[in-house]
Amino acid sequence: MRWLIHLFPLPALVIYTLFVVYPIFSAFLYSLYDWNGIKRGVFVGLQNFITLFTVEPFNEMFWNAFRHNVFYFVVEMIVQNGIAFGLAFLIYRKIRGSGFLKIAYFMPRLLSVIVIGFLWKLILNPNYGALNSILAKIGLEEWTRPWLGDPDTALLAIILINSWFGIGFAILIFLAGLQSIPEDLIEAARLDGATGLRMLWKMILPLCMPAITIMTIFTFIQAFEAFELVYAMQGSMGEPFYSTDTLAVYFYRMAFSSGAGDVTLGLGSALAVVLFFIVGSVSALSLYLMRKREVQH
Amino acid sequence: MSQFRFRYVASLVLTAVMVVTGCSSGGTETESVGGQGGGQQVTLSMHSWRVEDTEGYKAIIKAFEADHPNIKIDFKPFKATEYNTILNTALQSDSGPDILQLRPYAPGIALAEAGHLEPLDNVPGISTIPKDVLAAATGKDGKVYGVPLSLNSTQFYYNKKIFEQNGLQAPKSWDELIATAKTLKEKGIVPISFGAKEGWLLSLSHGVIAPASYSGTNYLDKLLKGESDLKSAEFLQSVQRMQELIPYFPENYVGLELNDMRTLFATEKAAMFINGSFELEGIKKLNPDLPLDFFPMPTDDGKQVLTTWVDGSYAVNAKSKHKAEALKFMEFMATKKFGELFANQFKRISAVPGVSTDDPLVNKMAELSQSSATPYLMVVSFAEGKPTTKQTLENALQGMYLGKLTPEQVVEEVQKSAATWFPPFKK
Repeated sequence: MRWLIHLFPLPALVIYTLFVVYPIFSAFLYSLYDWNGIKRGVFVGLQNFITLFTVEPFNEMFWNAFRHNVFYFVVEMIVQNGIAFGLAFLIYRKIRGSGFLKIAYFMPRLLSVIVIGFLWKLILNPNYGALNSILAKIGLEEWTRPWLGDPDTALLAIILINSWFGIGFAILIFLAGLQSIPEDLIEAARLDGATGLRMLWKMILPLCMPAITIMTIFTFIQAFEAFELVYAMQGSMGEPFYSTDTLAVYFYRMAFSSGAGDVTLGLGSALAVVLFFIVGSVSALSLYLMRKREVQH
Repeated sequence: MSQFRFRYVASLVLTAVMVVTGCSSGGTETESVGGQGGGQQVTLSMHSWRVEDTEGYKAIIKAFEADHPNIKIDFKPFKATEYNTILNTALQSDSGPDILQLRPYAPGIALAEAGHLEPLDNVPGISTIPKDVLAAATGKDGKVYGVPLSLNSTQFYYNKKIFEQNGLQAPKSWDELIATAKTLKEKGIVPISFGAKEGWLLSLSHGVIAPASYSGTNYLDKLLKGESDLKSAEFLQSVQRMQELIPYFPENYVGLELNDMRTLFATEKAAMFINGSFELEGIKKLNPDLPLDFFPMPTDDGKQVLTTWVDGSYAVNAKSKHKAEALKFMEFMATKKFGELFANQFKRISAVPGVSTDDPLVNKMAELSQSSATPYLMVVSFAEGKPTTKQTLENALQGMYLGKLTPEQVVEEVQKSAATWFPPFKK
């Protein structure tokens, strides 16, 4: 009966194949057809990919969304991961109430993204939102604005909300990295005269590299697949004026956006394939490069 | 133990297979009911994107079932934004419903062209519905594929009390409209409840305002024949007028959504609200005591126009196993009896001519939609392209309100989009 043990992964494997592997391959296949979502049209080879990158307005929309994804990544790295590392370090040094802080920072993570989007939409509402009211009350009247309706602030607002949402998770990862540093190594460095910033820069950061690598790749994947929060707050058009469009939202709009007659499943699938390659290759490459820089201990 | 495990795996696999083959529960079922006159009882499935109409349809379906005891109808609505995807998937896997709600104009007609729909030309009653109403569900082959349900109209709603208190009347020209708005603004009232955050509301408002710039169908004929285009002086003026209204919009209007706009108007903070007949119920629910009225868009030659289009039709699945019974329901939908039930149930203008309701505003809309209607151009004629010309207009208008595009650039974009697919512009 021992062979039965090999059956255990089967359900997971079946589900994984059906819902992950199969869709990836079918997306590859769909990307080669001219398809409006109703009836599969003719085989067009790589035409969808060519259209995506050379025909207006598709190419403009692609690069516009791509830039937003890059911006998403950069801001999250600086704001979310920067602050998270600082906080993780404080908790690691066991300041007062660090146990409570750990829980408090993780709290937003417990809410669903849709709830978060709805909450912040209320807070940022230009007419009765809390943020504008507070700004007006403390004498910063000229700072009030339609945060989500202004293309200069809409995307940044969404990314900052996402950082607030993700900070607890980043802290946990960094904290795990910090706590895995052997005490004797730190002790030895201290005996050699390393203190403060020097200690952080020369010892702690390099020893934390595995956690930083993981978090960077997580952040990259998350930034390039940014969808839920944008969709919850701005809908599938990336409004206003495509200022919050990301590749995933653009994909959704092309492949599924209902109500309009412009569904282009073939083109949408081509974009999904491109997105798959961007995320896959960059993740693999950075994993390889950053592994090399990690200090073994 | 091992038996349990096998069942577990088997049930997982089975579930997965069912998910993949998909939606089969939405298909047709036949049950034979013994004893009821020996006849076969048929259950028709009916799909719609109007979840909010579920209760209303119960009453309508009851009336139909009373006349046709052998037919039962299972009304199944889906979320509007997911309806097309669900329907397309079901139709392709041959498990579609017997009766389905059809999006008006291009997107719905595409289903007919893919061979999924049954022609309805021979259904009694169809011929009583005007041709331009049937156009919303008429294929390029000239056959009718859907029974139109209702007309939508868009107009300026206004607060009668605020108008009276300030000695104002429904404007009769563009200049009067601007003067009215100015007076209201001076009195500290938001003249027009408006928001630019949701694109579809921009094309909708443009649909109301634009016809005054090209009063008469003369321009439309020329435009649709390709003798004029969207960069013409008339169309440009319609976009300029959208810009001219900016001072009369609420503060921070670029960040406002439909909810905010509706609330401003229903709580009497704003005097006017450009929106559709389909908003009537929503406004009344928010504030049943609102002294509500509407005026159609005044044109410069002293006339007025109400922008209308057909909102959805019902069609029969070409692969339905119970076509005869489904066609009976189509026949019912083309009757005055259905029109009256529908209009009263949903406070909407029925597509069946000559139907009146117990709501005076709906009756006024229905009357005007027969005497002074103008088509909602972006939905009726320019809802194609990838992205659609309608979407392009929405986006460009949003750009204009954000100060990124001039009206000239807006019409440039719109024309460019239409030229990629609109046959008369292609040559």
